[in-house]
Amino acid sequence: MPKITFSTTDRIVEFPDGDEVNLLRVAIRNDCGIPFKCASGNCGTDRVRVIEGADNLIPPRRRERERLGELAEQGYRLACQTYVGGDVTVEWDPDQKELEAQGKVYDRLKQVWLSKEDTA
Amino acid sequence: MTELLNEQEFRTALEDAIKGREAKNASFSQAWANGELTREHFARWAENHYHYVGPFADYLGYIYSNTPDHATDAKDFLLQNMYEEELSDVRHTDLLIRFAEACGTTRERVMDIDNATAVTRGLQGWCYAVAMREHFAVATAALVVGLESQVPSIYRRQYPVLIEKYGFTEEEAEFFDLHITSDEIHGERGYQIVLKYADTPELQQRCLQLVRHGAEARFAYTKALYDTYVAPESPVANPEPALA
Repeated sequence: MPKITFSTTDRIVEFPDGDEVNLLRVAIRNDCGIPFKCASGNCGTDRVRVIEGADNLIPPRRRERERLGELAEQGYRLACQTYVGGDVTVEWDPDQKELEAQGKVYDRLKQVWLSKEDTA
Repeated sequence: MTELLNEQEFRTALEDAIKGREAKNASFSQAWANGELTREHFARWAENHYHYVGPFADYLGYIYSNTPDHATDAKDFLLQNMYEEELSDVRHTDLLIRFAEACGTTRERVMDIDNATAVTRGLQGWCYAVAMREHFAVATAALVVGLESQVPSIYRRQYPVLIEKYGFTEEEAEFFDLHITSDEIHGERGYQIVLKYADTPELQQRCLQLVRHGAEARFAYTKALYDTYVAPESPVANPEPALA
């Protein structure tokens, strides 16, 4: 069976051959410790660096590419956006927070809660 | 008398409660995955789907109000889920309407519940009733495990078809792409809440019953789309498999 190695917490999880599994879902279910927040590819809290097995991951789609930016070229993936089909090893900074806000969340909240005069 | 299931037994029972009732196997889902539908069918789907998922944050709000203060992790999960539906990025119903407009229908038609089938209206009513009246662990089982956790398995088949066969752009089909991944995590977090807080045999059995009901309701909703919009124009008899 293929296995996912969570290097930072020294955990290994196997999954059935032929399956494609969501990396963050596996981590949550098995208490593997990847930090996360939104799970929608917005905050970037769950970014991991792929040490081995990048070819066993489905390629990043638009949302993930845009959120990671240059980090994508440095071997990072967002765990919530990543499906795994074979052996892979990942690591992360256990203290990492969300990536720098792009502003759109706060723009959206301002749009909802504040009047035009407030934001002028 | 039924005994309390341990965590693994209960999780397996919850997963089994969905088996044989998965909406991905309903005729409309199959026809979609096989590339047999038209943009007009997708428009009718959007006009119905809006009335099922549009109030999802409302359903969760009722569950939230029924969740006791000590269940902080459950309350946080519900609040985060509501926030993502409505405010964290483009409102999810706006993504659905973006897709609907790309299919040729309008925001006004999508938001008009007269354009939904009676089965869709029934599903919406069931969601409201469960959210308002059931124990928070049971309601989470019904709506998150029974309904929301099915989404990735449905959309992972349907999304590639939209892009590759029908020529929708990634932006037009973002509603599906977003939910493939976010509902993986919502589903898993939902399982965790249910496994933790359904802590009596009676609550566990009620969870299992409503997961079955939820899966059946979503199957029936999806089947009704085929029966209403596709079958009347098809020379082939409705190939719907019977519910297990």
